[in-house]
Amino acid sequence: MNPHLAHRLTHHLTKEQISKYLIGDATPQESQHVSSCAACGGELARLESSFSQFRGAVRHWSDHRSVTDGAVPWNVRVEVATLQGMYGGHKTVAGIGSVLIHVTVVTLLLAAGSLPPVQQAMKEFVPLFAPDLKELQPKPKMEQSKGGGGSPQKTAETKGELPRVAPKSFVPPIRPQDDPKLAVNPTIVAPDMPNINSPNYGNPLAGLGIPSAGNGIGTGIGGGKGLGVGPGGGIGFGGGFAYKIGGGVSAPVPVFRPEPEYSEEARKAKWQGAVLLELVVDENGIPQNIKVVRSLGLGLDQKAIEAVQKWRFKPGQKDGKAVPVSANIEVNFRLL
Amino acid sequence: MPESALFADAPFASGLQDFEALVREHRPRIFRFLLASLRDTETAENLTQDCFVSAFKARDQFRGSASFGTWLMHIAANLVRDHEASSRLKFWRRKLRSDVDLSDISDWIPDQQKSPEAVALAKEQVEAIWRAAASLSARQRTVFLLRFVEDMDLLEIATVTGMKEGTVKSHLFRAVQSVRLGLEERK
Repeated sequence: MNPHLAHRLTHHLTKEQISKYLIGDATPQESQHVSSCAACGGELARLESSFSQFRGAVRHWSDHRSVTDGAVPWNVRVEVATLQGMYGGHKTVAGIGSVLIHVTVVTLLLAAGSLPPVQQAMKEFVPLFAPDLKELQPKPKMEQSKGGGGSPQKTAETKGELPRVAPKSFVPPIRPQDDPKLAVNPTIVAPDMPNINSPNYGNPLAGLGIPSAGNGIGTGIGGGKGLGVGPGGGIGFGGGFAYKIGGGVSAPVPVFRPEPEYSEEARKAKWQGAVLLELVVDENGIPQNIKVVRSLGLGLDQKAIEAVQKWRFKPGQKDGKAVPVSANIEVNFRLL
Repeated sequence: MPESALFADAPFASGLQDFEALVREHRPRIFRFLLASLRDTETAENLTQDCFVSAFKARDQFRGSASFGTWLMHIAANLVRDHEASSRLKFWRRKLRSDVDLSDISDWIPDQQKSPEAVALAKEQVEAIWRAAASLSARQRTVFLLRFVEDMDLLEIATVTGMKEGTVKSHLFRAVQSVRLGLEERK
């Protein structure tokens, strides 16, 4: 094209020409036009500013992304480079080998699975499920009278009122027996007590006074309820009335169990072991009546009791009701 | 560039120390190119690493015909090409790759002292270019980034990519046309 003619290029640059100009591939005529034409120059300036924004953003961005810039010395990187030689140049062989090994293993597994004995064994396989053990569980022991003893009489029993129906029969209904053939003196389960000579049954620890069976409930003696003697409930002596785990009584579950502290002496002596405690978890889940069954010494017994006192339980249940349950707890002391 | 003259005379004469200085000097640029090409910080870091490892291993082959930066960029461009080729096979990795969010790049507009309108406009433009660049073919993207982010001229790009200057021109032309289309669509 004649430069003179090009100088008088009056029509604006096409899109393609502008793109060419942008990539630095413009003819001299086009460049000349751009420098003289406000419209084309403006269009180019807009585009160039967009691109320079883009360049700035990418540069700024990469500078912030490059966290390891200069932080990792080159020497470390050379070590990384040597890692690439892990296969010693036998990358392809290693890859094929790996595939072969995998295929072999899978094939062997499939082959083993298709063997008749294995298939037979699979057929005989009985899936385990959780069996319903409800019927096999020991039934809660009902306190039942074992039937009437005494002197059999000729006539059938007479009509009368049935005793009140209650979940537990503390005192079975008994026919008054005036002259038992084999009299059995009442007994009681109780710790060793002072032996006092007295014409009537009573609490050996109580004070002397007007003859009284106490203000309790039941046929017992004392302030408790039931058959026993003393302030508790049940048929024994003394306080504390708790179920044993089992027989329809679920075990209490600890829900909050702070760790016991070590005593200073035991820590110095590097003393380890376990303290066995016996306690009653009452219906509120609070441990009561904590006793040491197996002692460890060096102050650890006290620490164990202190810790267990802070424990809280989900109380044991009987027939869906929270009941006091006696339990043993082993508190372990381990030095790490 | 002064360092290319240095190496033309005695390439890596004093060994690792010099190379470390070169790494420090060229790493940001290589990383930037790889990050913009791959849009994945982790892969870009790895490939930057690979680039310098390859350069170090092949340091005897550096003849000084181009500047050291161009030579490194050539290695980086090859790495990008290889990576694109291999990641086409690794289709399962595509979901796992943490692609850069679009808002990510546009948050890095330099000179935050502009008016909010200007910043918003710049953001939109950068986003449009970034999105358009993503839809380019690998070669077009490479030449586009080399031209408009790394500010290389056509001859340098031809050296880096190993293409003829005419090929570079046509790739770049098509890339610019697509990007402009993207910019206009935004409007």
